[in-house]
Amino acid sequence: MPELVLTVNGGRRSLDAPAGMSLAQVLREQLGLTGTKVACNEGHCGACTVQVDGVPILSCITLAHMVEGEVTTIEGLREHPLVAAFVRADAVQCGFCTPGQIVSAAALVAARPEPTVEEIRQNMAGNICRCGTYPRIEEAILQWRG
Amino acid sequence: MARLIRTEKEVEGRFEEVWLVVEEDPLEQWPEGPLDVVGRPAERLDGPARVRGEARFTADLRLPGMLHAAILRSPHAHARVRRIDLARALAAPGVRGALGPGEAKGLDEEAGYAGAPVAAVAADTFAQARAALHAIDVDWEELEVVLDPQEAVAREQFTSEPARHERGDFDRALAEADVVVESTYRTAVVLHNSMETHQAVCEWVGDTLDVHISTQYIWGVRAEVAEAFGMPADKVRVVCEFMGGGFGSKNSAGEYTFVAAELARRTGRPVRCALTRREENTAAGNRNATIQKLVAGARSDGTIVALGGEFVNAVGWGGWSTMTDGPMRMLYACDNVRTVCYGAKINAPPMKPFRAPGFVEGTFGLECLIDELAARLELDPLELRRRNHADSNNGTPYSSKNLAACHELAQKHWDRRREVRARSDGTWKRGVGLASQIWFGGGGPPSYAWTRVGSDARITVVTAMQDLGTGTGTAMAQIAAEELGVSLDRVEVVLGDSARGPYATLSAGSSTLPSVGPAVRAAAADVKRQIIEIAAQRYDLEERVLDIRDGTIVSADGNLSVPLEELLGVLGNAQILGKGARGPNPTGMSVNTFGMQVAEVAVDVETGEVRVERVAAVHDVGRVVNPLGARSQVEGGIIQGIGHTLSEVRLLDPGTGRVLTTTLDSYRMPTIADVPEIVCEFVDKPDAHLTSLGSKGLGEPPIVPTAAAIANAIRDATGADVHELPISREEMLRALREAEQRAREGAKEKVGAR
Amino acid sequence: MELVRATSIDQLDGGIPVHGGTEVVPLLRDGIMHGDTLVDVRGIVPRGIDGGRIGAGTTLAELAADPGVPAALREACRLAASPQLRSMSSVGGNLLQSTRCWYWRQRYPCRLHGGDRCHARDGEHREHAIFANGFCASAHPSDVAAALLALGARLRTSRRELPLGGLYRLPDERDRGTTTLAPGELILELELPKVDASVYLKAMDRRRWAFPQVGVAAARTVGETRIALAGVAPVPWLLDGAEALDLATPLPRTAWKVDVARALVRRAVESVS
Repeated sequence: MPELVLTVNGGRRSLDAPAGMSLAQVLREQLGLTGTKVACNEGHCGACTVQVDGVPILSCITLAHMVEGEVTTIEGLREHPLVAAFVRADAVQCGFCTPGQIVSAAALVAARPEPTVEEIRQNMAGNICRCGTYPRIEEAILQWRG
Repeated sequence: MARLIRTEKEVEGRFEEVWLVVEEDPLEQWPEGPLDVVGRPAERLDGPARVRGEARFTADLRLPGMLHAAILRSPHAHARVRRIDLARALAAPGVRGALGPGEAKGLDEEAGYAGAPVAAVAADTFAQARAALHAIDVDWEELEVVLDPQEAVAREQFTSEPARHERGDFDRALAEADVVVESTYRTAVVLHNSMETHQAVCEWVGDTLDVHISTQYIWGVRAEVAEAFGMPADKVRVVCEFMGGGFGSKNSAGEYTFVAAELARRTGRPVRCALTRREENTAAGNRNATIQKLVAGARSDGTIVALGGEFVNAVGWGGWSTMTDGPMRMLYACDNVRTVCYGAKINAPPMKPFRAPGFVEGTFGLECLIDELAARLELDPLELRRRNHADSNNGTPYSSKNLAACHELAQKHWDRRREVRARSDGTWKRGVGLASQIWFGGGGPPSYAWTRVGSDARITVVTAMQDLGTGTGTAMAQIAAEELGVSLDRVEVVLGDSARGPYATLSAGSSTLPSVGPAVRAAAADVKRQIIEIAAQRYDLEERVLDIRDGTIVSADGNLSVPLEELLGVLGNAQILGKGARGPNPTGMSVNTFGMQVAEVAVDVETGEVRVERVAAVHDVGRVVNPLGARSQVEGGIIQGIGHTLSEVRLLDPGTGRVLTTTLDSYRMPTIADVPEIVCEFVDKPDAHLTSLGSKGLGEPPIVPTAAAIANAIRDATGADVHELPISREEMLRALREAEQRAREGAKEKVGAR
Repeated sequence: MELVRATSIDQLDGGIPVHGGTEVVPLLRDGIMHGDTLVDVRGIVPRGIDGGRIGAGTTLAELAADPGVPAALREACRLAASPQLRSMSSVGGNLLQSTRCWYWRQRYPCRLHGGDRCHARDGEHREHAIFANGFCASAHPSDVAAALLALGARLRTSRRELPLGGLYRLPDERDRGTTTLAPGELILELELPKVDASVYLKAMDRRRWAFPQVGVAAARTVGETRIALAGVAPVPWLLDGAEALDLATPLPRTAWKVDVARALVRRAVESVS
């Protein structure tokens, strides 16, 4: 199996992965980083969102071997103020999409520390939440700094 | 004392007479209004774990040596397996076991729909298992297919006998009515699409079977699996600590569980069986389509005198015919009602309950019809609803009903109508609509909780319920904290494991809080009583003068004030154990939830685009335990309702009967950009007759009236009567054209009359 | 399967070119695309915006964010797909994306797959084509392609230069493909002529993250306005004036698309004039 070198949450990881393996699979199955969820496995729902060099991408349709740059998963964002903001605003129900929501939101507030509602809607529309926590997510992001 | 009673039990609008052993719950209800913990917003206790991605879902479980199962599904809408050969699949790389029809519950020779499970394979990896499915040779005998529900009804191909309801003299009342409106409404199939797909991981440990499963009913799965494997129920342990949504689709075990358990038995290895998103959207349940032929008759003063409905539920190959006529039978005071519900058995994927099954569909039809009636009567739609308020459920008193209070609270939202309409500009027309809601949600016995207090003066509540993500676990903690007189951070709730707690009801039918909540309160009261007994002896005071407040033992005269941890320090390794049970429901009473929603929409009359701009929701669910979590339930229900109303539809290929919209680019659920302003209000009055808690469930009510409120707002904005869900652009443009035509003909008639 | 990181075009050699992977990876998994070799072409496809020249490796997110990009293209990118997909997908790849036709995606033996009938025509087709739908009723889903078509974009591939319209062809009995790209040919660059005004309007059934039911791009240069549509034909559709909508041949359940297109075309033309 080809060797794969990834930087994940600041740590360099060297592992073997077949060429067709997705980043999500590598993260969850090889690195045990199960905070990244897979809900559709075809790039439609956003549950698997991670950042590569700060940009949110869909890890379920990203080939691990094509990743160039530093990967940040929810495990690398656990101390982000957004986490507390989401809990405060009740922006979580079942929680299966929530790690992906945090990953997208963290990239948004890094680029735009005071996002407008319109910016939140434009940038968070790729993260589907079936429980419908969207109004809470909006509130959490608007008040992410507490 | 345990008591044996004969009672009517309701789940998701289905009733059955059962014997029930119940325990009395002697506690007095708390006073109305926010208390110290209950009735105040509480962040969910498992929030950080879920948000940080630390919560372990079934999907995250990886056991050593675990195999992955994949299921072979019928490509035909109706066929029988003549011959099946698993040999090639068994020889495929990585394959450790395979099952054919009849070898696990759920795998059947006869496939009644495209996607029906027939065989399964377990392999080292999921990819290997999937690949091996192609090596299963099946000789199919194709059978006759019926996809059209009306054809099924014509052929009397039913899932159950047609359910008829008749009261009064419908024909005469209709004949004597001053105004009669008739309409046919259709609702499409929609899909649950929980983010975590249906899945189970099964492992045999000696003669015990561990089932880790994403489920709404731990105890139901335990019973089903035990029965399927002919083993004592206590040998089956069912675990579900965190689950990624269910919405009614995960009330029972499902083929994936039996397949995983059987393959685990045969291979001696743990086996995961997880549906893919496409399988989820094919074979994991749906809200079935309906066709509703409705009629209403009223006197000119607005009194509704006759209601009639013929409802076709396109149930599918399995599942049950829901009470789609429920709203028509229950929402209004009307003496003359005739309804019939046909459960059409067709070669389409089986329905499963989906958040107020039947009532979501039936309320859309009925509440649109009532607005068409209001228009004919030239009566204010809210006033028409007030005039026909039902004071009882056809003679049976309600345990509590505050629909009139909902009307009052909704009035200010309804009064925005003129201002909203005035904001119409260009091709965008704006309007306001409303709809009422009735549903069940009282829960019932049995459900139990245990409590434990140690020398650290913390309380652990143990109950083998499941929290779907609704936050009911946090509500349980609030109830225990309130009863015990401690702050919320002293409470731990242990749930989700049948081997580590007593029975709790299924989390469906808005029943978790009203069923388990009172048991938790009783269990907390049990330890509180014992703590006071200990305090009385320790401080030589009478029990009746002692209480616990804010984590402190206090006496009525104020002389004693001792922190709990100081008193309980005497316990050492001793523990105070408590237990509690859900008492019976009030006899001879109807327990229901009520509400009203007011929607504001904008319609682009050229492109048929509909935007929901605001929804105000007023609900009556008895006592609200956690206003923060309750608001989330309301918002979530409305947003799901908006999806059902505007963008979600499951399509079948009419040629093959296969689902076409299996992926989330084609099955379109709302995104954050689709969400309107949502205003959420509660009547928040405890139901004086329902348990020591006075709370009803809130999981389902908010989704019930949303579609009708939106459709009625569209009528207000444009004059167009939409008759179909979803209100696609196609349907919106059709309704607009029809309204234009009507207006033209109306104008012609007026000219002619002159 | 093997992944090759190409540093020169020769390395393509029969392999499947992959850039963002948002289309190729799912199609490979579904068995619609086949191959043992994937060729990562990010090293050989230019990326970036230089006035009217756009590297085919530029992402949709980058195009949406660049104020120098014509409004129609920027808006088409802003309304395309989801934020994550816009960050992953290259504009070159976007032009080559396949239809969302559920029959094609589910590998029904339809005409595009070499079969002898269009399943959508007799089946569920409410999202399908209203033009050129006699042979295959699939709808081309690219917002970006419609915008570029209206803008009069030209392409430079590894072999030739051509107007964007030349990239597409309607499938027919002999050739079921919808592009004229030869095996091993890569789109490298786009060139946009200057326009005076442009706009992209999109009807979808949710506010974001949906393929176009109807997308309308309009661009005006001197006195002339070009109109192009997404979601209405098996390929991006150049509309010869608003009246050309009268020539639509909708299927029973796509007639509504004509109404929507009519309104959006009128608005788009008004907006650029």
